[in-house]
Amino acid sequence: MNDTLKAARLDLALIRPYMRNICFTMAIPVAFAAINRSLVTGVSFAMCFIAMTAGYTFSVSEKSSMDRLYGILPISKKNLVLGRYLYTCSMGLLAFMFSIIVHPIVLRALGTIVQPADICLAAILGILMFTLYTVFQLPGYYKFGSINGRIFMYIPIVGFLAILLFVSELNITNNPVIAALAGNPIAAIIATMLVCVIAYLLSITVSVKIIRSKEV
Amino acid sequence: MDNYLEVSNLSKTFPGFQLQNISFSLPKGYIMGLIGPNGSGKTTTIKLILNMLKRDSGEVKLMGLDNISDEKTVKSNLGVVFDSNYLCEEWTVAQAEAAVSVFYKNWDKKKFSGLIKRFHIASAKKIKELSKGMQMKLMVACAFSYDAKLLILDEPTGGLDPVSRDELLEILAEYIEDGEHGVLFSTHITADLERAADYITYISYGELFFSGSKDEFVDMFRIVKGGRGELASDLDGKLIGARKFSTGFEALIKSEDLKLFGHLDVEPATIDDIVVFTNREGD
Repeated sequence: MNDTLKAARLDLALIRPYMRNICFTMAIPVAFAAINRSLVTGVSFAMCFIAMTAGYTFSVSEKSSMDRLYGILPISKKNLVLGRYLYTCSMGLLAFMFSIIVHPIVLRALGTIVQPADICLAAILGILMFTLYTVFQLPGYYKFGSINGRIFMYIPIVGFLAILLFVSELNITNNPVIAALAGNPIAAIIATMLVCVIAYLLSITVSVKIIRSKEV
Repeated sequence: MDNYLEVSNLSKTFPGFQLQNISFSLPKGYIMGLIGPNGSGKTTTIKLILNMLKRDSGEVKLMGLDNISDEKTVKSNLGVVFDSNYLCEEWTVAQAEAAVSVFYKNWDKKKFSGLIKRFHIASAKKIKELSKGMQMKLMVACAFSYDAKLLILDEPTGGLDPVSRDELLEILAEYIEDGEHGVLFSTHITADLERAADYITYISYGELFFSGSKDEFVDMFRIVKGGRGELASDLDGKLIGARKFSTGFEALIKSEDLKLFGHLDVEPATIDDIVVFTNREGD
């Protein structure tokens, strides 16, 4: 097994005792989607909530002083960081898959018809938001730890509110770039992917630099 | 390769503390005790060996390999037991095995379950529910399950009762029996070393005081005892450390100065005596 996968598996083992809480967290955005009759709202909330659990691995490992375990395992610091990003993205992907499948079913049951364009928009927004939150959260947790860096847990909420404000105040839908992307779903998907990959590469570089300079 | 651990001129500076030019080597098949009072630099030395701290200068070789450039290979053959648990407290013993074993190619599941039975560790229990002694044994079981060539223990006996300490020393003695393993054992409970160690490395206030065989270390010193007024003032300077009472004194001297103290009672020094008196610096 690849070292990054091993590290991601270790992170998964860390949060296993808290998996029930995380699953419960995923049920709440279903209610948001149902109340607002909006897939975009539901998926955005789901990605916001799952991003808020990104600090769990840091909290659990800090609580058990696991820095010492990481210090003795035969794995590089870079792979440990890559594993944590892989784990975080996998959790985001699971939350995304769950919400993009379950929310339309719930909305349909309530009589709201979800168009393919709504699904496309919700998917793009959800992935972008999750990326935006986690690329700042993870280096923050690496730098300050989960206790001193608990403020990073609230990035998704602040980010969500900021995005709402940004969309309504700046009338973003009239922006020519946004309008062009809205008219071309394939270009929008490619642009989203590109933004996510670049953001994660930068975030990983910063995190690796932080962890390499840290002494246990 | 005769030495499993070679530390050369290792230095590290923190605000208010400096570890200076520490050098020692541990041949395979032996147990080395790393001793010194609290804050002397034992844990810093171990963390530098494990590359958990960045050294300012010096070199560390484990099983002939550099501890930084060959870190992965080195750590695959290295077992470490700290003074407290480093596994996730919420894991059961079985979950801990599942999480850690994937990192070691030669992890032996049968050996692990055998050790868990032998150490009487309840595998269904969460780690936080195990006693400190059991947690320590679990860390030892992990290290033995991938046949770590070198075992590094940092104050493992600190919070253990005498029975658990005795068991640990027995386990270590068995571990080095085949001559293919080595142990570096940091402790300030020197009674453990009197029994188990072959070599001693003594660090005092960040500086290397001694590194060599235990017998050589103990033979270097003697304890002298006498009544009030029995110690001539010109001999005062020959005392490495002394404890003075209203009725007399006891002091640590170098064995080479023994003939100067022929008129006094002389006793062999224990490791504990040496550590205590060398840190008293004469009263």
